[in-house]
Amino acid sequence: MKNNLNSGVHRTTPYKVISVILLVFLALLFLFPLYWIVTGSFKTMKEINSATPVWWPSEWVTTNYEKLFSRQTANLFDITIPFVGKTISGPEVPAAIRWLVNTVWMSVAAMIFTCVTATMAGYALAKKRFIGRKLVFSIIICAMALPKQVILIPLIREMSGLELYNTLWAVIFPIVGWPFGVFLMKQFSETIPGEMLEAARMDGASEIKTFLRIVVPLVKPGIGALAIFTFINSWNDYFMQLIMLSSNSTLTIPLGIAKLQSENSTDYGLIMAGAALAAVPILTVFIIFQKYFTQGITMGAVKG
Amino acid sequence: MKKLLALLMCVAMLISFGVSAAFAEETVEITAWVYPVGNWGDPAVVGPIIEGFEAANPGIKVTVEYLDYTSGDDQVNTAIEGGQAPDVVMEAPERLVANWGAKGVMLDLADMWDETDEAEVFEGVKTACFTGDGKLFVYPAVMTAHCMAINYDAFVEAGADQYVDLTTRTWTTENFFKAVDALTEKFGGPVCAVFCAGQGGDQGTRALIANLHEGTITDGTQYIAASEGNAKALTELRDSEGVAIDASIVGGDEIALFYNETFKMAFCWNAAQQLNPNSANTGAGLTINGQKIEYMAFPSEDGVPSLEGGIWGFGIFDPAVRSGDNVDARTEAAKAFIKYVAGSEEGLTATVKAANFFACRDTIKGASLEGIWADNEIMAGYTTLLSNLGPYYQVTPGWTEARTAWWNMLQQVGTGTDPMEALTAYDAAGNAAAAG
Amino acid sequence: MGKRGAMSRALVRRETISGYLFLLPSLIFFVGFVVYPMFMCIFTSFFDSTMGRSDIFVGLANYKELFTDPIFLRALKNTVIIVVVSVPVTCAFSLWAASVIYKLQGPLRSAFRCIFYLPVVTGSVAVTVVWKWMYNNYYGIFNYLGKAVGILDKNINWLGDANFALGCIILILLTTSVGQPIVLYVSALGNVDHSLVEAAQVDGATNLQVFWKIKWAQIMPTTLYILIITTINSFQCFALIQLLTSGGPNHSTDTIMYYIYYEAFKLFRYGYGNAMGVILAIIIAIFSALQFRLAKADTSY
Repeated sequence: MKNNLNSGVHRTTPYKVISVILLVFLALLFLFPLYWIVTGSFKTMKEINSATPVWWPSEWVTTNYEKLFSRQTANLFDITIPFVGKTISGPEVPAAIRWLVNTVWMSVAAMIFTCVTATMAGYALAKKRFIGRKLVFSIIICAMALPKQVILIPLIREMSGLELYNTLWAVIFPIVGWPFGVFLMKQFSETIPGEMLEAARMDGASEIKTFLRIVVPLVKPGIGALAIFTFINSWNDYFMQLIMLSSNSTLTIPLGIAKLQSENSTDYGLIMAGAALAAVPILTVFIIFQKYFTQGITMGAVKG
Repeated sequence: MKKLLALLMCVAMLISFGVSAAFAEETVEITAWVYPVGNWGDPAVVGPIIEGFEAANPGIKVTVEYLDYTSGDDQVNTAIEGGQAPDVVMEAPERLVANWGAKGVMLDLADMWDETDEAEVFEGVKTACFTGDGKLFVYPAVMTAHCMAINYDAFVEAGADQYVDLTTRTWTTENFFKAVDALTEKFGGPVCAVFCAGQGGDQGTRALIANLHEGTITDGTQYIAASEGNAKALTELRDSEGVAIDASIVGGDEIALFYNETFKMAFCWNAAQQLNPNSANTGAGLTINGQKIEYMAFPSEDGVPSLEGGIWGFGIFDPAVRSGDNVDARTEAAKAFIKYVAGSEEGLTATVKAANFFACRDTIKGASLEGIWADNEIMAGYTTLLSNLGPYYQVTPGWTEARTAWWNMLQQVGTGTDPMEALTAYDAAGNAAAAG
Repeated sequence: MGKRGAMSRALVRRETISGYLFLLPSLIFFVGFVVYPMFMCIFTSFFDSTMGRSDIFVGLANYKELFTDPIFLRALKNTVIIVVVSVPVTCAFSLWAASVIYKLQGPLRSAFRCIFYLPVVTGSVAVTVVWKWMYNNYYGIFNYLGKAVGILDKNINWLGDANFALGCIILILLTTSVGQPIVLYVSALGNVDHSLVEAAQVDGATNLQVFWKIKWAQIMPTTLYILIITTINSFQCFALIQLLTSGGPNHSTDTIMYYIYYEAFKLFRYGYGNAMGVILAIIIAIFSALQFRLAKADTSY
């Protein structure tokens, strides 16, 4: 990218100053929930329930986290070897840790499956001139407008029929099926120069080889964006998790936090601790991969 | 990269088989889903009860999953739809009888009901747990009376303590409003709120309104809330400066506001709350800054209240919505479990203690239960309220719709709709739902 | 695109086979977990379907009931309000924010981008807990600051007042939906062809003219994409309402999405809920198509 930023935009005008001040103010508003969650999770019962806002904990306590970790226990993981039926279980840990493991595992699996299938499909839709291409693409576009909640009841019945209900797969598969990824990767694949594919074909490269050697490297920014996008979306897909998962060993962290509220009391400290535990890992992931994400998502969207 | 991918796929496949088909041994494994009834949402409290049962029944293993009132219904409903309902569920007749029972997904437990149960369980509890045609969908365990609470220190400060009687724990409508005025004068309003954002805690607002001027909500089959008394009560509450009709808070929020001393009264109260206000573990009967909380019956014209009861017990889902191996064996095991936690002296005592409520019978299989709370002053004193229990009408058909309509009714009154009109709409919604 | 004619029949066959083979993994998931349930949803909308008994065919009765159901009509109205307010505001705000951000230095630029994306990353459950506290009638920060500064003379019950509740929900919705548009606009503005801008400036065009005549046209594809994504998201606003207001007070925050959930998950009226879902999907499709048309017409001049 050529650096055009210096061409006459560095004049300081009143408008610019006011804009930046306003923007900083708004940024503080956007930062506030996170600040409140993190500080809140270290406040005492008294301060978090106080009728006047306590901006900064006068004394930092870890009781909320202790409570969160001592509530229930679960195995760190349970892996069953197929056909043998033997289960290998991890050591017993606080249930919140297991929820975290579940959430990471679920998001990573959804991410990998989505990236693989969407890259293949996006490439085919963009570069293969096959019969029915337009129809398939139209259906995919239409499906993106579909409200997810509507298909939940049929999905529950289907998952139960497949004996996947209350497994993390019941959450992962519908995410993988969601057509946004295909759409995004199709946009990306449009940018692949046709000559390169033609040349590869002339050289007698197989379809798979062409795909792996030429297509994948060219759409890498797109894959990166899609990966992060899917990861974040699966992590926060609260409603799908709520209806598909029900046992302590399959819970995810957003679900776990929601469950910390009881009818007659709301232990805000405990909820803040849970929320912090849920937000911090994903934030870290986002901040580390921010660059790839912003690059990738932009390229895909703009190439209409 | 490819190898890593392949490895991940393999691990994925391995884990996928993990949850479903792990156990095939001789022990029968059952699952019990419990709502947070008192401390039944706390694994540290429930764990020992389960251990006690498993020690007495070596062939059975119980896995407990803890539900919450916000998303618990959705989870149970979807589990039923998915044919994966739990074996045992712990909740109140309003869900087990009026909701899932009416939908035909509960197992009739009438065969568990023996002569001693018939003789020992309180009459009002029996009517709530049995359906009209004699099916038992809840094996009852514990009960309580819902009441309200006052910040006694604030009452003293405002000179409103003269209006309450802490021996009988009852008061009149007139004195209630005098107290509200005194508190408002002293602290500024509002000092309490008719919360109506929805979800839990409906019993509190219902009992308040029905008691103020001797109204009724249902006759057990029909919704008949549109009465002069209820309309008068709503009008008075709305017009009182000290009472907010607040559509932004739910029962739990009200408790939090009462606990941090914003409110001086709370309507979503019971014995478990009194023992541990806001579940904060900062002392029985104390607010955040250590002010004294006293529980009170709802005020009524003659000072004799009719309190709403809460009943909780255990049910078993119909085998048709519980797939998996050994359904029959699991049903038997589930019955054994219920017999223990709700039908044996040892189990029921532990259940009652965990719930911070009371047993729904005086004796169990002949053994007296009087001593359960002998060691606890608050609980022993609270029994005075139990004598004021009115009928349990939360099994009236159409209860789910009626509860939503109840919140809407309060919200409408709060925004200026004529109370009678709002109550009539409430009755209509409830009765339409009851009619199917 | 005009290569079709040059392709031999064998090539078409080869392309078709390999095309579908590449599509296959994706299609398995798409058909299995989106298309099939979607079909079931349409199918069930013609039945009286509930828990614990087999479905009864009722034809179009669910659809007929919908248009006489006052709560559904109210929910439809609220949903449209949310969309009509939040979509233009989201687009305008993110365009403005992006126009400020893209001129900033590297680290500052990415910091701002990151901050505005935060609410998306943190997730609605955690964010809502905080907002609920901020809106609180008795000790929330809005009332607290409002009174401290002197704008408010008494507490406003933000979420409990039918006049404010929907606005409050829309405000939260805005914070959770501007993240992606800002990221997109920042890049789109950075990619605007500067030779055109400079040429216009030489010709004496004002900043505003430069913006409308040159930049706006160049970022049109981005705007279109943002419009459609934001529209879909706004139509599907659900979690905020479920966690904050349950549709109240007085149905003032009921949206179609929430009403679907209420009918299907609380009252077990699956057929009715599905009929609503079908209608909602149709409305979203119409809205998106309209925007597409308008935007296309706009770019052509």
